[in-house]
Amino acid sequence: MENREIILSVKNLNVRFSLRGKSLHAIRGVSLDVFKGESLAIVGESGSGKSVLTKNFIGLLDKNGRIDSGEILYAGMDLAKFTTEKEWAKIRGKKIAMVMQDPMTSLNPLKTIGWQISEALILNRGMKRAEAKAAAIDILKDVGINEPQRRYRQYPHEFSGGMRQRVVIAIAVACGPEILICDEPTTALDVTIQSQILGLIKTLCRKYEMTTIYITHDLGVVANVADRIAVMYAGDIVEIGTADEVFFNPQHPYTWALLSSLPQLGEKGKELYSIKGTPPKLFGVIKGDAFAPRNPQALKIDYLVRPPYFEVSPTHKARTWLLDPRAPKIEPPEIIKRLHDLEQEGEAGEADE
Amino acid sequence: MAAKKPLFNRQMRRISELDANIQAGLAREEAERAKQAEAEIETVDYTPEQIAALDPALFEPAGFNEEDAERTGYSNYSYWASTFKNFWRNKVARVLIIALIAVLLFAFLQPIFPGQHDPVTINNDPETGIQLMNLAPSSEYWFGTNAIGQDLWARVWAGTRVSVFIGLVVALSDLVVGVIIGMIWGYVRKVDKVMTEIYNVISNVPQTLILILVSYILRPSITTIIISMCMVGWMAMARFIRNQVVIFRDRDFNLASRCLGTSTFRIITKNLLPQMVSVIMLQTALAIPGAIGDEVFLTYIGLGLPTSQASLGNLVEAGRVLMMQKELRYQLIFPAAVVAFITIAFYIIGNAFSDAADPKNHV
Amino acid sequence: MSKWTEARARTPLVSVRNIDVTFGNGRNAFKAVDNVSFDIYRGETFGLVGESGSGKTTIGRAIIRINKVSAGDILYEGKRISGKIDRECDREVIRNIQMIFQDPMASLNERAKIDYIISEGLMSVNHGMSAAERKEKVEQALLDVGLLPEFASRFPHEFSGGQRQRIGIARCLVMNPSFIIADEPISALDVSIRAQVLNLLSRLQQERGLTYLFIAHDLSVMRFITNRIAVIYKGVIVELAETEELFRHPLHPYTKVLLSAVPVPNPRVERKKKVLVYDPGCHHYSDGERPVWAEVVPGHFVRGSERELDAYSEERDK
Repeated sequence: MENREIILSVKNLNVRFSLRGKSLHAIRGVSLDVFKGESLAIVGESGSGKSVLTKNFIGLLDKNGRIDSGEILYAGMDLAKFTTEKEWAKIRGKKIAMVMQDPMTSLNPLKTIGWQISEALILNRGMKRAEAKAAAIDILKDVGINEPQRRYRQYPHEFSGGMRQRVVIAIAVACGPEILICDEPTTALDVTIQSQILGLIKTLCRKYEMTTIYITHDLGVVANVADRIAVMYAGDIVEIGTADEVFFNPQHPYTWALLSSLPQLGEKGKELYSIKGTPPKLFGVIKGDAFAPRNPQALKIDYLVRPPYFEVSPTHKARTWLLDPRAPKIEPPEIIKRLHDLEQEGEAGEADE
Repeated sequence: MAAKKPLFNRQMRRISELDANIQAGLAREEAERAKQAEAEIETVDYTPEQIAALDPALFEPAGFNEEDAERTGYSNYSYWASTFKNFWRNKVARVLIIALIAVLLFAFLQPIFPGQHDPVTINNDPETGIQLMNLAPSSEYWFGTNAIGQDLWARVWAGTRVSVFIGLVVALSDLVVGVIIGMIWGYVRKVDKVMTEIYNVISNVPQTLILILVSYILRPSITTIIISMCMVGWMAMARFIRNQVVIFRDRDFNLASRCLGTSTFRIITKNLLPQMVSVIMLQTALAIPGAIGDEVFLTYIGLGLPTSQASLGNLVEAGRVLMMQKELRYQLIFPAAVVAFITIAFYIIGNAFSDAADPKNHV
Repeated sequence: MSKWTEARARTPLVSVRNIDVTFGNGRNAFKAVDNVSFDIYRGETFGLVGESGSGKTTIGRAIIRINKVSAGDILYEGKRISGKIDRECDREVIRNIQMIFQDPMASLNERAKIDYIISEGLMSVNHGMSAAERKEKVEQALLDVGLLPEFASRFPHEFSGGQRQRIGIARCLVMNPSFIIADEPISALDVSIRAQVLNLLSRLQQERGLTYLFIAHDLSVMRFITNRIAVIYKGVIVELAETEELFRHPLHPYTKVLLSAVPVPNPRVERKKKVLVYDPGCHHYSDGERPVWAEVVPGHFVRGSERELDAYSEERDK
């Protein structure tokens, strides 16, 4: 994995917001390498900074936010130093594209679907109108829209939610970006559509050799699509590893909690595992491990010093004092083992094939 | 004198000392803040040596308090405080509201200031006994005199008093009647159709026509003007409120209130009205200059207040007649300036306040 | 004796009998709910699953009288509560039936304090209550949902989604209802918070013998929380069974699709999973083969034509 080419590298990034006269430390020293061609999932609850982090990659940080320190290296440029729209115009859409949660916010209700896709092609790829139309119809076919010729002339309101999201993906893919960021692409959709859309993104990324970054709050959703998973809590990546490592050998108590509280694992008549309390507000200084106040097994050191990354394997590291040799041995919750059972089921399935 | 000077010096010294203290304090605070900001980022990482040196005793369970986990940072936000703070941040609005309050205060206090002329007395030359007609502004008559020798300065303020009074009463009536009718119209589905039809009929008759008709039937007086304006003014407000209510009516928090059996009256006052503070304030603020403008218009078409009654409408109309005579133009400029100022001030302040009261802007 | 036979011996708390709900009128009329019937027994959690636009929320809202039914009856303890009812009955409904809304960000009045939001219901059914008594009830309700009494004097925007949803639950609890309609109470919440709210709902059910109608758009939480599930598609119920029965032996193709869409938190299983797609045209209903509502095994109902039902019962027996 180390030999793989790094396409985007975040180095010790700090982002602050000023909110009602107070300063909010939304991203607290995040470092992250994204490899070419992989699909990375960033998982965290609302307010964990997962969206804020990725918004920095396309220069869409809210007006009251600013990058305090750190670098975002992409194609030899430091995106963190970008200030003008002109600079961003070269990156946004063309090199790094984003699919938002609500498809309606990214579509213009007054223009036909076809116009919107070909406009993207004309602007970003310099195509002629007729050429763009042909390409747009091809892309519509690619994202699984039947009768693309007819659909080309329709308006967004004539499409269902799932179909609209397909169109948004089509527009994002149309410009041939290297990195596709999907911000909760399926949260607003029905479950049956959800898996179709995820499948579509997966196929397209393979076809066009794109690197994908998923942002979601639901670990269950990304099991299917992510090669690697980064777990974010309170503006920091607390654990990162391959999907199998994070699911089957989680190390950080927060990852344990996230996995254990999945309702799919619940047993009737028993309490579901639940995380107590609410995430911290990021005003002021957070000392130690941000998750400590909600962690029943927190150590004293967790309240004092922020843990460094401990390496579990070359691809897997976690920020928790539990991995320090001086720490007591604390077993992950029982329920995590049921995931291993599910793993066995999975292997049994493999044997069947 | 000699005794006073050292005192003055001492005070000066004290002030400069204080100033130095404040400067030093500010510098210290600044340094602390910088250090803190640095610390905030630096708390992030301990060096490997520091980590190796950590006391093993720290690696013990710390115990857990469920209540603490529930407690979140208290943000201390209050809707009205934020609204006023936001409003105050808008410099133009801040200057205008101070100026507007000063002008209105002065208009109402003007008669008690010394050396003021009476707005209705016709001033005669004490020697010749001839009316002091059309005197240009001077130190005696600051805004000059009008065609029959009345003091224009006093008349402008008297007119402002009358016109602002009319404006306030009409705006208040628009507010009360418009909000009540608009709320019922929007919230009670049964009356919606009927009300909409009534509105369509009335609103298709030009408002000015109704104004003219009422002013024509009744004898011209302040009451007449107020009645005629109140009769038409509420409709726009009611329609506006109705549209707002329709937007909010089926939001979840209203459905929740209905499920809890909350009466329509309480849903309106507790759920809907507070949501509309910002837009209602804007409408009301605009109604005041609107009423003043209407009064000017009614006077222009000859249905305003009797000419003996000073009002901004009467003054502007009297000035308009003389507009083409260059040396008498001041008779139009002064009242027109007051009308313009009041209109612009209310408009900008209203908009600024409505922006400030919109919770979306409370960042 | 299975839960189902036990249940049948009891009288239903809420009965929905052949209801239609139609929006708009004349040419624009849209039938959101078409001839839906089911019973909810005391003490159980009845699940209603369907995608957006299936009419599941409309049914919930018809029971609590926000939406009018255009045909059929809804009974509460054998008494009709749909259509025109007298004041006394209306108050009974308010006191006994409460609702938890989907989006906690939209369902609390932003300009009122928590104190007012929670005691709102008390003011309308208990006019004579003293301020001190009311305060005590509010504090108790906050404690019941795991929040601190000091929160009463704050505004909703200071709370996170999970806390706000618990405030929404506290607001129902002060009314001391016997039946709660939970309209997707967790789908707007972060996954990490969902467990909190689900645990709270099941604890309250045990402590107070509450009956729930639990509406959701996916089956992932249903197995954990419900006793029986009805699957609804485009305003029509297509399958109804006890939870375990439904998960083990789904018969209707749409139910199978919903089940296949439940994400499994396991990368190795997920990568191989095949997601089914429901095509309503697969039934080939013609004039001769109208679908009917039939009981395949006791307590397991499914909608299908004669031919389909034969296939279903054969499949079930396997």
